[in-house]
Amino acid sequence: MLEIKNISKSFYKKEALADVSITVRKGEVFGLLGPNGAGKTTLIRVINQIIAPDSGSVRFNGDLMTQGDLLKIGYLPEERGLYKGMTVHNHTLFLGRLRGLSKKDVLTKMDYWFDRFGINDWRKKRIEELSKGMAQKVQFVCAVLHEPSLLILDEPFSGFDPINVELIKQELIEMKAAGKTIILSTHNMKSVEEICDRAVLIHESKKIAEGTISELQSERKLGLYAVRFKGSMIAFVNALWTGFEIDDKDILGDDRFVVRVKMRRDNSFQDLLKVLVGQIEIETAWEVLPSMQDVFIALTKEKEEVVNEK
Amino acid sequence: MKNSLLIALREFKERIGARSFVLMTLLGPAIVLGLIYLMFTLGGNSKQHWNVLIADHGNLLNSKIMPGTDKAVDYSFYNGVITEVEFADAKKFQKYDALLEINEKVLTNKVGFVFFREEPDIRMQSKVKFQIERRLEEILINQFGKIELADYRKIKQPLTLAFSNVYDPNDEASDLAGWAGLFYGVLIFVFIFLFGMTILRGVAKEKSNRIVEVLLASVSPRQLMLGKIAGIGFAAFLQFAFWIAIIAAGLYFMRENIFIDIFDAGQMNLEQLVIDSSDLSYQESQFASREYNHFIELIYERMQFANTTGFFLLFFSVGYLFYGALFAAIGATTGSESDGQQFVLPLIFLLCFALYAGYYTLSYPESVMADFFHYFPFTSPVVVMVTLLQGYAEGEGYQIYLSLFILFVSAIAMLGIAARLYRNGILQFGHRVRLRHLFKWLRKS
Repeated sequence: MLEIKNISKSFYKKEALADVSITVRKGEVFGLLGPNGAGKTTLIRVINQIIAPDSGSVRFNGDLMTQGDLLKIGYLPEERGLYKGMTVHNHTLFLGRLRGLSKKDVLTKMDYWFDRFGINDWRKKRIEELSKGMAQKVQFVCAVLHEPSLLILDEPFSGFDPINVELIKQELIEMKAAGKTIILSTHNMKSVEEICDRAVLIHESKKIAEGTISELQSERKLGLYAVRFKGSMIAFVNALWTGFEIDDKDILGDDRFVVRVKMRRDNSFQDLLKVLVGQIEIETAWEVLPSMQDVFIALTKEKEEVVNEK
Repeated sequence: MKNSLLIALREFKERIGARSFVLMTLLGPAIVLGLIYLMFTLGGNSKQHWNVLIADHGNLLNSKIMPGTDKAVDYSFYNGVITEVEFADAKKFQKYDALLEINEKVLTNKVGFVFFREEPDIRMQSKVKFQIERRLEEILINQFGKIELADYRKIKQPLTLAFSNVYDPNDEASDLAGWAGLFYGVLIFVFIFLFGMTILRGVAKEKSNRIVEVLLASVSPRQLMLGKIAGIGFAAFLQFAFWIAIIAAGLYFMRENIFIDIFDAGQMNLEQLVIDSSDLSYQESQFASREYNHFIELIYERMQFANTTGFFLLFFSVGYLFYGALFAAIGATTGSESDGQQFVLPLIFLLCFALYAGYYTLSYPESVMADFFHYFPFTSPVVVMVTLLQGYAEGEGYQIYLSLFILFVSAIAMLGIAARLYRNGILQFGHRVRLRHLFKWLRKS
């Protein structure tokens, strides 16, 4: 769907993107991750043709991207702006028309989305009368109104309360199910785990990792396993002997625990289960993968250490 | 194109929906009409009593004028030659308001010269003319003897008195038409700067509240800039149209209701009046309730509104495009909204420079600099209006089209330059504008 090849971009003497290449497949939710100032927004602006790269190319559905392709893209920038003096209705109409819809189509789709988000009563309100969260909703509607095949969302959850975060998340899941492609740039790692299929991590203008969420997590796994059981904690500890190390535990109550265990030497998950069977009542056990937050921190720290060593 | 139109439409609606637009639409013409009213009423109040010194070195008038002349004019005679400079500066002549030069040729060429210190109103002018004419008639009748006064009056030619300011014989400073041109030029610049600043502020604001990023994801920077300039320009045009309509209606109302007499006086053929009536009191009565000034004559008689307004609109449109692009580029290159304020001062200097160029042209229309200002795109909208109202010499009318062409080409070039600055500067935030940045942005495609 979207092929970004060897994109480089500098502002004055600062390099914002260095030879970044990414492929986004049709119908996937693609996470664009990275610390602040890594170059994510610059990359999004290059994709949207808001700024031209110094080198490299962007292909959309196989062809070099043109101004006309922008109509197939919905974009919600991180730093959102609206014309404060305009009413919600007029603003949505204006942006819908700019994205190639006829007035009639805008009105039909506006009705649908305003109903869906329960914001019909806001139509005549001026943007300046809206709270930040309300304005965010209007902006989200404006970004998806023209039913784009590619949706680029830069920090779509910021400014929303948990209920609205869930609402937006559900919308994205439905859009994905409908075959839309979504690029999601966010610092909300929980949502990345929940809805992204693949992700790329950009740090200091360079791509440092790319893959499916589970691939990224697997690459950084620490050999940690969790066991939920019923029984005596002492029995559990005695059973482990010297081949394993308890990393962490949660007490669930009624003699029930979740314990995270690290393998020592060549011990495997099977070995762990073998020593525990008969000692305690195992309810469930699983391999603990690092959260995307951990992956994010680990990857960026690794990168910084490499830079410092040099 | 469609996107530019949508942007333009939004800008247009926003401008005309603003309270300041409605206020300026009504207040602007009201101020202009108020000033015109003041000029009409104050302009007619010239001196009611005149001391006229007649320099009659051949003693043609025999040091006397008609008996029983009215008290408004006192005549004194000097049987010698007085130069204008002497009359203007010599202490002994300061008590006289005007110098009337009579030489022996006056009987044949019927031309006399009056140099005044302060311009007299038309009533005073006609009085002096009438009284001198009467005296010359007497002299002619005495010379020829055989003709009846009544018959003579049927065949006589009227006397022409050329009135000019003794301090400004070429009448440069009191070139009312030129001043009206400057007024038009000022109006162009007021509108360009008012709406140009609206462009600058609008662009800087869109930049600071980041809506520009949403827009640029759908339209190109050039489309956005053009739409913005066009939309605000339409609003300027609409406001200007209202100004014209309100001022025209106001002038018509004044002519029909407030200054009926003035208007009639302006239309009256004075030559005819003098010939038709040998009775001074009749002539006096014609003017009894009337005031007159050149401003009224200019407004109601001499100005070719259609022609002037046509060129005004052309120069306004193209000048607006030229300056509008400049303002948009400045707005796009600013690092923050407050950054734009820094540019206000240089822009005001630019405005003053253009207005000075107009004033300079008014004072020195034949100078090389005036020619330069006439074609220089930063000043031509003002200067051309001044020159247009002053009048182009025969065969030089092409100059206005040449100036318009240069302004048009400059506007296209400015739009090109501005589009580059706009494209490269619009998403730069929080920086200090430096010349090297501007050059870098200009070089980039």
